[in-house]
This record gives sequence, structure tokens and C-alpha cells, in this order.
Amino acid sequence: MPPPADTPRCILIVEDHPLVAKFYSLALERAGGFTCVVTEDVTEMLAYVEAGRVDLAILDVSLSGTEWEGHTIDGVELAHLLREHAPSRLPILLATAHAMAGDRERLMAASGADDYMEKPIYDAAHLVEKVRNLLRRNS
Amino acid sequence: MESFIEEMKRYLGFTEEDAAVLRSLGPRLVKYFPEMSERFYSQIPFHPNAFRVFTGSEAQIQRLKHTLQLWAAGLFRGIYDEGYAQERFQIGYRHVRIGLEQKYMISAMGIVRAYLNECLVQEFPATDERMEMSRVLGKILDLDLNLMCESYMHATVQNLRSLNEQMERANRELAGASHTKDEFLAHISHELRTPLNSVLGFSKLILDGLCASPEEERQLLKDVFASAQHLLGLVNDILDIGRIEAGKMVLHVEHVGLRDVLDSTLPLIAIQAAEKRITVVDETADLPLPAVHADEVRLRQVLLNVLTNAVKFTNEGTVRLRASYPDEAIASSDMLHMPCIRLEIEDTGIGIPPEKREVVFQKFVQADPSHSRRLGGTGLGLAISRRLIEMMGGSIGLESGKYGRGTLVWMTVPLAVRQQEEVIQA
Repeated sequence: MPPPADTPRCILIVEDHPLVAKFYSLALERAGGFTCVVTEDVTEMLAYVEAGRVDLAILDVSLSGTEWEGHTIDGVELAHLLREHAPSRLPILLATAHAMAGDRERLMAASGADDYMEKPIYDAAHLVEKVRNLLRRNS
Repeated sequence: MESFIEEMKRYLGFTEEDAAVLRSLGPRLVKYFPEMSERFYSQIPFHPNAFRVFTGSEAQIQRLKHTLQLWAAGLFRGIYDEGYAQERFQIGYRHVRIGLEQKYMISAMGIVRAYLNECLVQEFPATDERMEMSRVLGKILDLDLNLMCESYMHATVQNLRSLNEQMERANRELAGASHTKDEFLAHISHELRTPLNSVLGFSKLILDGLCASPEEERQLLKDVFASAQHLLGLVNDILDIGRIEAGKMVLHVEHVGLRDVLDSTLPLIAIQAAEKRITVVDETADLPLPAVHADEVRLRQVLLNVLTNAVKFTNEGTVRLRASYPDEAIASSDMLHMPCIRLEIEDTGIGIPPEKREVVFQKFVQADPSHSRRLGGTGLGLAISRRLIEMMGGSIGLESGKYGRGTLVWMTVPLAVRQQEEVIQA
């Protein structure tokens, strides 16, 4: 059951650079009225996702500090893992500094993400619009 | 498989009888050989390109005229076997080597043929006999010319093949270099975008009026500033790596007082160390340090990089700086007998696992990238440091700290015993 309209939607942010994560959460909270969860801990992510508390996930691709079952996991693998654990279809936005020719197609195909943004991502309104579109498409 | 000479003999219809005819002809023609070589050399050196080949004096031409007479003697020896073929091949190879082109050889041989036919007219007044002799002479001259031309072709094919190999090798190297360059570019692009995200993102948040308070604005501005500083570090490191890899890093190596270098470097990390309550101990403080053979600016860069790492990756304890003179025995094995001083910077920080101790000297590799993301750093510092130290004739490496924790970075720097000044290019 979708949450009532006045409940703020919750965005999971997985990003290994703390300042970038800080920007996402500030931008989404201030310009979009979202609530944000920032974590690099997979167990914590899965708990949020399984509880149905996450409406959309923004994933970085290169994750240096995120491990799962003994190996470093990247955003592509994480996208599949989160989807497997989500009670309903989870929209995923890849946000990455990989911006060479072909990266977008390759990473979108590998992850099954709904959308893709290249860093630098610095316009709060633009980020909020992307997230809202994805939420709308998914509802 | 039929050899080239056998194939040609069959094609020309060259028989044992022909060989016998030539053998009997030799003694009658030998007196014409000097004049033959005169005519040959009146022709061949005056071709525009062939002329360049005959750079020697008149003595060289005299020697060559003699060689041509030996060649003619061979022509009438009556033995036309593989040995004969080899001898003729060698003439072609030699011509290719000195750059005498086949077309000049062919036209000069035409003169030889015409002259020998004139000789036959002198020697054999009877037309029938002369016709027979001329026919046989024609066969052997054809055979000979074909052998020489074949060797020209072989030599040319060989040259082409080796050129081809060179080109293939160059192509492979270029492809490899281009791939490395693409990877490097992708990496740089990735590394630059992350701090740019903070610079642009936070300043835009402030400009959009999305901050909750002036205090928050100020905090975000601090983040912008730190990210911009990180960007500057990246740009400088990228320029250094670019210079090193393009072979354009130039070191000005001279006699440098190590004391001065240390005294001007250590204060640069004092503030960071004090903020983290880390003690920096300079165990060399009371030692008379020697002059080293180094580029002062670059040596300071390396020391600062290593010391900054030590402070960055240490949360409590000390960073120690030591100096010693390595054993000659150890020193001579990898330092080309150059007397060196060994500097050690040891910390009590998080340490580096043994399997990571070499890879951290590679570009963009960090022992644990998550630490560096939080603590800054470009992943290029140690790669640059190693190249700089090696260019100065020293070496640099990592060990475990003496008490089983932390990291010990050692480096050797050649002592100032060699020539005064030197410019070294990567």
C-alpha cells in the first residue's frame, strides 16, 4: 500500500564520498521535502529496504568501503541485491563519476537501474525533478 | 623442391654441352676481360643514383674492375652448380647493401653482353660457329643476370619483412599506449568529478538560498574550500604524472643540504599533526646530516608527501623521522654502488597490509580507498614520489612499523659525492 500523500518519501543514498552524500541529502531534503537515509552498510540498507521504508535508491557505482559477504560490492551489484530484497519494485537512480563514452549504456544495462546521472550533480532542483519523475513512473 | 638455378637452367635449356662450350670459350676470351671491365665501369657509375654509391677513390673503381674480371672468369669456368648460384646471389645482396639498384646493374650487363659478342666476332670469323657460341653465351648471361636479380628480390623482401615487423611492433606499442592513456583519462575524469560535485553542489545550494542558517552556509563554504583544495592537489599531481610519463619531468640535481630540506619540510605538517595530537619526532635533529645529490624542490615534495600520509593515516601516537647509512653490501646491490643516506618515516597509524605495499606505488591505487576518500589524497602521491626518487638515483619502499603496527616508509638518497650539478630528464 503506498504511503499517504503527506508522508515524506524516503530516499536511500549510497555514496562513498561523504561530501557528495551530504549534498544529495541536503538538496533532496531542502528542495524536495524528502527524507534521506545515508549509509554504506549493506545490512543497514537491506533492513530499510526490506521494511519497505525506502521509496527510491540513489547508488554510486564505485563504492570503496562497501562490503557484502566478504567482497567489495559496487553499485551495479548492489542494485540487484536491493531489488531482490525490496517488497515492491524499487526505483534506482545511478549517480556516478564514470562519464566516458559507453559508460552510461554499459552501467544501465548491467544494473537494470531506472535512470543515470553523471557527476558533477549540483543542481538541487534538477536532482529533485529526476527523483520525482522516477517515483511517479513507478507508482 | 627444385632450386632456383636448376629451374632457370631448365627454362633456358641450358645443358652440359653448353657448359663444356663455355669452358672451352674461357681461355679464348680472357684477354678481352680488362677492356670489358673498362666499358662496364664507363657505364654504371654514371647513372645518376649509382654514382652516389661509388664514393671511393679511383682505387675503389680499380678494385671493382678486378672483381668484374673474376666474375667473368667464373662465367666460363664450366661449373654451374649451387655453389655458383650462391656466389651470384651474394653479388646481388652486396649491391642491395650498398644501395646499387637493380636497374643500373641490368643496363650495365647489357654493355657486357654487347662487348662479349663483339669479341666473338673477332675470335670466330665463321658465322655458324659464332652463332653457336653467341647462343650459349646468351644463355649463361641470362642465367647469371637472373640469379643476381633473384637475390635483389630476396634482399628486398627481407627488408620489407623486417620493416613490416618494425611497424607491427610500433603499432602494438601505440595501441598499448593509447589504451593506457584512455584508462588514465577515464580515471582522471572520475577523480575530478567527485570534488567538483562538492564545489558546484554546495555553492549552488548557497546561491539557491537552500541553507537553513548562516552557520550552515559557512560550514558548506568550508566544504567547498576543502574540495577546491583537493582539486588543486589533483591537478598538480596529474600534471606531475603527465610530465613524468611524457618524459618531460626535468630534475635539477645538485648538492643539497639535507638538514635544510628537513627543516623547511617538517613545519608544513606541524599544524595537521597538532590538530590530531600526534607527536612528530625528528630523531635526526642532533645529527650532522650530509649534503645529498638531489633536486631540492622535488625531494621536499616527496618528503612532504610521505610525512603527510603518515599524519593522515595515524590517529594517535607518533610520527618518527630517522636517518642512517645503509650497509655497503646492501647498498651496492640495488644502488649501483652509489653511497646513499637512508631516511625512514615511521608512524603508529593504521598500517598497510603486506600485499598492498607495492600496489600503493601504482597510479590511482590506494590501500583502502575509503580511508583516502575521507582523508583526501589523489592516489598519485606515492607513484610520483617513487619516480622522483628513482630519477635522483635513490629508491623508496614500505615496511611494517618496527613494533608490528603502523607503516614505515624508507627512502635512499645518493650522497653528494658526484659531480656538482646535473639535469635529469625522465
